[in-house]
Amino acid sequence: MMNSPKLNFKDVKDWIMSSFFSSKLNSVLTVFSSLLLIYVISSLFGFLSSAEWEVVRINRRLLLLGRLPLEDTWRAWPILWVVCIILFSSIGAWGAPSKWELLLMSLAFILPTLIFFTMPHIWHVVVTFLICSISYLISRYFIKKSSYLVQAKKVLIVMWILILPLTFLILRVGGGPPPTLWGGFLLNILLASVAIVAGFPLGILLAVGRATKLPAIKTVCTIYIETIRGAPLVAWLLLAWFVLPKFLPNLFGLNEVSVVIRAMIVLSFFASAYIAEVIRGGLQSIPKGQLEAADALNLNYTSKLIVIILPQAIRVVIPAIVSTFIGMFKDTSLVFILALTDLLQVGRLIPEQDPKFFGRQIEALLVVASLFWIVSVSLSHVSSKLEKNLGIGTR
Amino acid sequence: MVVKKKKKIGSPIIIAENVTKSFGNFQALKGITANILEKEVVVVLGPSGSGKSTFIRTINRLEPHDSGKIVVDGVEINDDVKNLQIVRSNVGMVFQQFNLFPHLSVLRNVTLAPQKVKSLSRDDANDIAMSILNRVGIPEQADKFPSQLSGGQQQRVAIARALAMQPKIMLFDEPTSALDPEMIKEVLEVMTELAESGMTMICVTHEMGFARSVADRFLFFDEGLIVEEGTPEHFFKNPKEDRTKLFLSQIL
Repeated sequence: MMNSPKLNFKDVKDWIMSSFFSSKLNSVLTVFSSLLLIYVISSLFGFLSSAEWEVVRINRRLLLLGRLPLEDTWRAWPILWVVCIILFSSIGAWGAPSKWELLLMSLAFILPTLIFFTMPHIWHVVVTFLICSISYLISRYFIKKSSYLVQAKKVLIVMWILILPLTFLILRVGGGPPPTLWGGFLLNILLASVAIVAGFPLGILLAVGRATKLPAIKTVCTIYIETIRGAPLVAWLLLAWFVLPKFLPNLFGLNEVSVVIRAMIVLSFFASAYIAEVIRGGLQSIPKGQLEAADALNLNYTSKLIVIILPQAIRVVIPAIVSTFIGMFKDTSLVFILALTDLLQVGRLIPEQDPKFFGRQIEALLVVASLFWIVSVSLSHVSSKLEKNLGIGTR
Repeated sequence: MVVKKKKKIGSPIIIAENVTKSFGNFQALKGITANILEKEVVVVLGPSGSGKSTFIRTINRLEPHDSGKIVVDGVEINDDVKNLQIVRSNVGMVFQQFNLFPHLSVLRNVTLAPQKVKSLSRDDANDIAMSILNRVGIPEQADKFPSQLSGGQQQRVAIARALAMQPKIMLFDEPTSALDPEMIKEVLEVMTELAESGMTMICVTHEMGFARSVADRFLFFDEGLIVEEGTPEHFFKNPKEDRTKLFLSQIL
């Protein structure tokens, strides 16, 4: 029926009847879901036709950078460009994006451009796009094919390690704004990056510590993990703000330390506890035979751990680890409790406080959600690419 | 009639005296006394649960024994970690489940221990590894990963990995039991060549043909004790104990 060159009315009618109305239940479900679909789509169209995106367009600086002073806004661009260079060079060197994925990445570019940028910044956006494309193309078509690939990859890894310190440097150099003024999307990304970069190695140490036979280390690690998991992140953040100054002596200016730094510390500890448990699950999944083979070969504990156990344990739990990372990224919104203006706070408060934009919650929050979504989806995608590269599930 | 190459069998290199081992309430070894001589090939037989695997695993302390004495090449196995390291550097083991490291290439599997334990340079380790892979017949698989190899090839890699540490004694815990019949032969050939080259070997196996042609001595285990031991001729032609006769009748 599908191969006939002419799709006549009878064939289509037969297909519809058999697919959608084959039984009484099917017919009812079809009618019900059609009505639901019509309602949702018409609501969506209704919303889109009356949507005013000015709230987002005019407040883009607030959304992206929070209360960063006007004269320091320029710092965002070098940070963005450095990240783009390293990110897209890495994609070119390690990844092998299909045409479909390249298309999606370009689309991801167009949407923020449409919403966010008017004439003054259009050149910045063009430069960003050029930087991304050129980094990717150079990496994919020159470096990947040359003999310098191994060294180039090492350089890229070093650059990834340096991204965070470099970002802080760019933000602070030449009398830059103190951390309390960092806000918006930038704050969420920074907090999540620090939490992940600090929490991951700490989590590995905790997992290994909890799995060891030495009772002192095992007890300490277990207590740490269970205590942190025992309270919600909001509670820990509040603790850092209210309670810590009372308990900690005024050493090293710890009490004056900026709220942002304290939030980073709390987030890192929090992440480390959850990552530790995920990795411990991976450690338990290693077949006993692997340990016996390592013992029979007389490998010492450190070699056994670093070469045999941890690589296998972490590979197995990459989905769970990436889930934790994505969760941490979204949990950074909770720093609102410390009076920090992250992306969600900005998106929530502008329609409430600015008379020009009363009632424009949906547009603002939709854009906030999209920004979170883009990052989360990218992390998920990287995770599945990583799994494929490491051959998880096949070897 | 198989003509065995004459090799000089030496003095006892493993001495086990009254070794016992229990797992909870179940006593796996009830007092094993055995001497393994240098260059000797000993095959350990017995029904399942008789303690064969447990015994050879006490020799490199994968299972710590409860009482009795085990001395390997002059070093006693006890709680002393240094002793254990010396013993394990002299004893190589091949497992039924191969236990290759799946995330490392074949070559890396073989060179890992020499590099980490013996501190060989990467090139030296690679040379040794390639020559051993040659010896077991799979040099072309060096850059592949274990999952890409057949079972017989994987077990040969496992043997190569153990040999790379140049042990004096090789333990085989049912090396061919997890293999498809077509692949058993290639592994047995490697083990035969190893035996003829003068390696001290203790094999737990069910491969009677191999055992008959290669073994110098049989140990028959049953319910945690050595019931009978002897040369192949003695064993197959004139078994003394009834339990031995029962077992042989079931497997031959």
